[in-house]
Amino acid sequence: MIQMYHVEMRYPGETYGLRDVSVSIKRGEFVFLTGPSGAGKTTLLRLLFGAEHPSMGQIVVAGRNVSRLSSASIPELRRQIGVIFQDFKLLSERTVFENVGITLEIAGLPRRELRARTWSMLRRLGLGHRLDHRPRTLSGGEQQRVAIARALVNDPPLLLADEPTGNLDPDLALDIMDIIADAHARGTTVIVATHDPGLLERYPHRRIVLDNGRLVMDRRPDAFPTPAPQVVWPVS
Amino acid sequence: MDRHRLRRLMSALRSGIRGIRATPLIFALSVSSMAAGLLLLGTYLLVVQNMRAVIERFGHELRVVAFLKPSVRPEPASLDALRVRFEALDGVSRVRFVSKGQALENLRADLGREASILEGLERNPLPASFEIELASESRSPGAVGALAARIAESEEIDEVRYGEDWVQGYARILRAVVWLGAGLGAFLMLLLGTIVAGTVRLALYARTDEIQIQRLVGAGGLFVRLPFYLEGALQGAVAAAVALAVLYGLFQLGLPIVGDLLAFMLGRSAPAFFGAGEIALLFVMGVGLGLGGAVLSLLRLEEAP
Repeated sequence: MIQMYHVEMRYPGETYGLRDVSVSIKRGEFVFLTGPSGAGKTTLLRLLFGAEHPSMGQIVVAGRNVSRLSSASIPELRRQIGVIFQDFKLLSERTVFENVGITLEIAGLPRRELRARTWSMLRRLGLGHRLDHRPRTLSGGEQQRVAIARALVNDPPLLLADEPTGNLDPDLALDIMDIIADAHARGTTVIVATHDPGLLERYPHRRIVLDNGRLVMDRRPDAFPTPAPQVVWPVS
Repeated sequence: MDRHRLRRLMSALRSGIRGIRATPLIFALSVSSMAAGLLLLGTYLLVVQNMRAVIERFGHELRVVAFLKPSVRPEPASLDALRVRFEALDGVSRVRFVSKGQALENLRADLGREASILEGLERNPLPASFEIELASESRSPGAVGALAARIAESEEIDEVRYGEDWVQGYARILRAVVWLGAGLGAFLMLLLGTIVAGTVRLALYARTDEIQIQRLVGAGGLFVRLPFYLEGALQGAVAAAVALAVLYGLFQLGLPIVGDLLAFMLGRSAPAFFGAGEIALLFVMGVGLGLGGAVLSLLRLEEAP
């Protein structure tokens, strides 16, 4: 699903977002991208959905070379990727239904199909009673569920989540992670950026660890000792 | 265009309408400032249109009068020869001879009750003349001047008159108005374009989050831009409609007040409002301005992220 070859992301002033990162993620995998704040987790995710272009190296996502993709081709790539953020990024003036339906609207689905799929996705995530609510009237957990619904409603083969539980209390965080795990169980390739050791402990998935832009560890579940290692990152 | 693309297009249009409804104040602000500019432009166009109409109307009544020298004997053969020569000139449609006696009769008729002042005359002081009517292509101040100059070259002709002072003076005023209007028009267009670009940019800032999210879920450049183009074009059309309505109202209200003055300036016919062509032109200008402003303000909007 994803191949990165010697990817470097350099910003003006010789600061590095990523340095010589090579990684391969198979279709259907669940990967935690972890490391301290500023390690390059968000940069890596942004590179994957074409929000930034690497300074060096090649990135292939679902058969497309993202590093060479023209601006006009990026929308097509993004319709194959669901993205979730820590701050939800919901449209405050639109209803829950509209916030989720926008993905299908942009994909050009007929209105009837759009309504059916949006309603079905919201019901699956326990938001069937919130269709006409505005995001500001919802709890944090509900808002994140709306964001997940928006990301998943188009059945994307790849889901990227950048600190999806960062703004939520532990119970809600587990609730959100269960939804993401469910999407993975349905066949979606999932990459979750987090520095929450609780999540890493609870979900024994592959971990790619970044530090200061470098890949410092890539450990698969079968390599974990029992119990899974405790990882605690300093948060700046 | 495939069905997905068409649906995306329709979604973009719906998004534009939603955007207008979400920021009605920005829309109203933009429409009112554009309408004010278009009203100025429309007023100017209306003035020029009516001035042109006067020139045209005057042209229809325009004729050249060539007075014969007193020494020319009014013999039918020589008068006929002169008439044929004048008729052969470019831009002449008809030539009529007015004898000294006919000229005096005409003057007497024009004077009406005051005609008694002519009774003391010992001899007819009026010269014989040729009244030369002009072909439609020669009814412009420049053409009539050139024709008058050619007629004046005839040695039998003493003097040629065609109301040159009035025609040339009026043409000068019209030229000045047109030039002034061209400058004013260009300035207004620039001003209006900047206003629209500014308000579209305001709308753009107001919808930054929406654009970011649209792009995140795979909206292409056109999907993002189209609502703003639609908004700009709609602003222009509404502003043109408002400007035309206000201009028509002012025209109808003001006509009775300045009617006498206008009747004096414009002659017998009343000033006219725009026809369908000019109304369509103002609409096209409004829509074009709105679209142009939107395109201008979105030039720097990057395709990604």
